[in-house]
Amino acid sequence: MKKAISIMAACCFVIPALASETRLEIVHTGIDAQTVTRGVDAMMADCHSCHSMKYIKYRDLITLGANKLKVDEWRGDQPLDAPLMAQMSAVDAEQAFGKAPPDLSLMTKARTGGANYVYSYLLGYYTTPDGKAANHFYPGTRMPDILGMSQATGDAQRTDIKTRARDIVSFLNWASDPHEQERHKLGYYVIAYLLVLTALLYLVKKQVWAKLK
Amino acid sequence: MPQRIIKWIDQRFPLTSFVKHELTGYPTPRNLSYWWNFGFLAGFVLMLQVATGIFLAMHYKADVALSFDSIQHIMRDVNYGWLLRYMHATGASAFFFVIYIHMARTLYYGSYRAPRELLWWTGQGLLLLLMATAFMGYLLPWGQMSFWGATVITNLFRATPFIGDMVVIWLRGDYTVGDATLTRFFALHYLFPFLIIGAVIVHLVALHTVKSSNPSGINLADKDNIPFHPYFTTKDLYGLGLFLILYSVFVFFLPDTLIEAANNIPANPMQTPNHIVPEWYFLPFYAILRSVPNMVGGVVAMGLSVLIFAFMPYLDRSRIPGGAHYRPMFRVLFYAFAVDMAVLGYIGYVPPTGSSIVMGQVATLIYFTLFLLLPFLSRFEDKWLIKRGLPPELEALIASEEQEKNKRSKR
Repeated sequence: MKKAISIMAACCFVIPALASETRLEIVHTGIDAQTVTRGVDAMMADCHSCHSMKYIKYRDLITLGANKLKVDEWRGDQPLDAPLMAQMSAVDAEQAFGKAPPDLSLMTKARTGGANYVYSYLLGYYTTPDGKAANHFYPGTRMPDILGMSQATGDAQRTDIKTRARDIVSFLNWASDPHEQERHKLGYYVIAYLLVLTALLYLVKKQVWAKLK
Repeated sequence: MPQRIIKWIDQRFPLTSFVKHELTGYPTPRNLSYWWNFGFLAGFVLMLQVATGIFLAMHYKADVALSFDSIQHIMRDVNYGWLLRYMHATGASAFFFVIYIHMARTLYYGSYRAPRELLWWTGQGLLLLLMATAFMGYLLPWGQMSFWGATVITNLFRATPFIGDMVVIWLRGDYTVGDATLTRFFALHYLFPFLIIGAVIVHLVALHTVKSSNPSGINLADKDNIPFHPYFTTKDLYGLGLFLILYSVFVFFLPDTLIEAANNIPANPMQTPNHIVPEWYFLPFYAILRSVPNMVGGVVAMGLSVLIFAFMPYLDRSRIPGGAHYRPMFRVLFYAFAVDMAVLGYIGYVPPTGSSIVMGQVATLIYFTLFLLLPFLSRFEDKWLIKRGLPPELEALIASEEQEKNKRSKR
C-alpha cells in the first residue's frame, strides 16, 4: 500500500515535467517594491496601449508603490478605482492584429509554465532568414517584438532587455496573485502552529494508549 | 445542576445511552493501523468543504457574464476570500485523496467482505455523489477547462439508448453548456453535499451495526476490542494534525499546482483548448473512456470501471478471512491494480497519440481482467494456502472467533 502511494505521488510530480515541450527559460521574479514598480512603468509603456489588466485598479498601483504623479498621468480623467483598460479599443486591436490582445491580469497563471513561460515568450523573438520576427515559444503569435530582442545587438543590450522582461513578469506575477506574500506569511504561522499542535496530540495519544496492557 | 439537566434530557431523548453506545462504549478493534484514520478524515474534509462553500456562495455569482469575475472578486477584494477559495479548491483534491486511500485500505484488507457488504455499497454510493458534486463544482469558475470539461462529460449522455440527445439537452437546460447549465450546476452543487451528509449517516449506521474490520480480517475477541473514546478519538485527532499540515502546505504554498492553467482563461465556446483534461481524480476513468474507440462502449466501460467495485464481495470467494494480510496472491493483485491505476492516470493526462492509446487500451484490459481474475484466483489461493498450512497466529484467530461465536449462541 505504501509503495502504491509513493508511485502515485511520483507520477504527480513527473507528469507536469513531461508536459512542456520547448525548454523554458527560468526566471526568478522579484517581489521587492523596486522591481515591481519598475515593472509597472515598463508595463504601462510597453503593454498597456494594447493589453488591459481589468482586475487591477489605478489605486492598486499606488498601493504597490508607483509614483502618484505618474499614476495620475496614466489615468487621465478616470477615477482611481477605474480598472486598467487598454488604450486601444478591442475592435481596433482586432483589426490591427487579427485578434484581441488578451487581458494580462492573470497572464502568469493562465499559461502552462507560468511566469517562466511569459518571460521566455517575451525574450523568444528572433529574425527569420526572410527578415520577419518570429517567436520560439509561440510560433503563430501576432504580437510584435515589443522589447526588441530580435533586433538587439551586443550583450549589454540583451541584458537590459532581460532585466526589463524580468521587471514586467514580476509585476504580472504580483497582479495574478496579489495576496501571495500575505498567503506565504500566514502559511508559516499556520504550519508552525499545526506542528506544535500535532506534537501535543501525539503525546496525548501516546499517554492514553499507554493505559492499555 | 448539570446532572439534573442530563437526567431531564434522558427522560425525553436517549442522550446518555447514545453517547455510551456509539462513543465511550463503542467497541473498536485495538489492532487498527493508521490506514483506519481516513474515514474520519473524509468526514472532516466534508465539513470543511461545506463550511468554506457556504461562505464562497455568499460572494459567488452563478451567471455566465459574472461568474469568472466574481471568482476574481473573491480572490482579490473579499477579506480572506483567497483563503476560502484555495481551501475549497484544495479541499476537493484532498477529499478524493482521502477517499481513495480509504477505498484502497478497504480493498487491501478485504473490509468489503461479509458482513460488511452494505457498508461497502453505501460507500460506493457516496463515491458517486462525491464525483457528481466535484464535477458540477468544477463548472462554477467558468474557465476554459470548466466549460469544455462540462461539455465533454454532459455530451457522454448522448450514449443513453433512444433518448440520448434529449437527455443531453435536459441536463444542460440548453443546446450547449450555457447560463442554464451554470445556474443549475450551482443549485445542485449546493444541494448534493447535504445528500452526502445524509448518506454518511447511513454509512455510519451500517458501520456501527457490523463494527470496524481490522488488519487480520477476523473479528477479534471481546477483550481485544477497546472503546472508541478515548483511544480512537485521540488517534484520529493526531492523524488529523498530520493531514492538516499536508493540506496547509498545498493551501498556502502550492494552491495553483492543482488548478489547470487553462482554467484561468474565461470560458470561450468559440475556442477549444488544445488539450482537454479533467481534474487528477478523474484521470484513470477518463483514460478508460478514451481507450474504447466507440463512444457508447467507452461510456459503458467508464461506468463499469467505477461500479465494478460494488461486486467485490462476490468476486472475492476466498475462505481465508480478510484481505492481503494473509493472502499473498491477493496482495499481488492489489499492487497490480494500484500500478494499473497510476498508469491509467498518466494516460488520462497526456494527449492521445499512437503509443499512449495502445498503452491505455492495455491498461484498461488489465483493469477489468484483474477484477475478473479474482473469483478464480481467490479459490485457487485458499486451496493452496490450506494445503500449505495456515500460519499459527491465523489459526489461533479463527479458533478464537469460533469460540466467541459459540459463546454468543449459548447465551
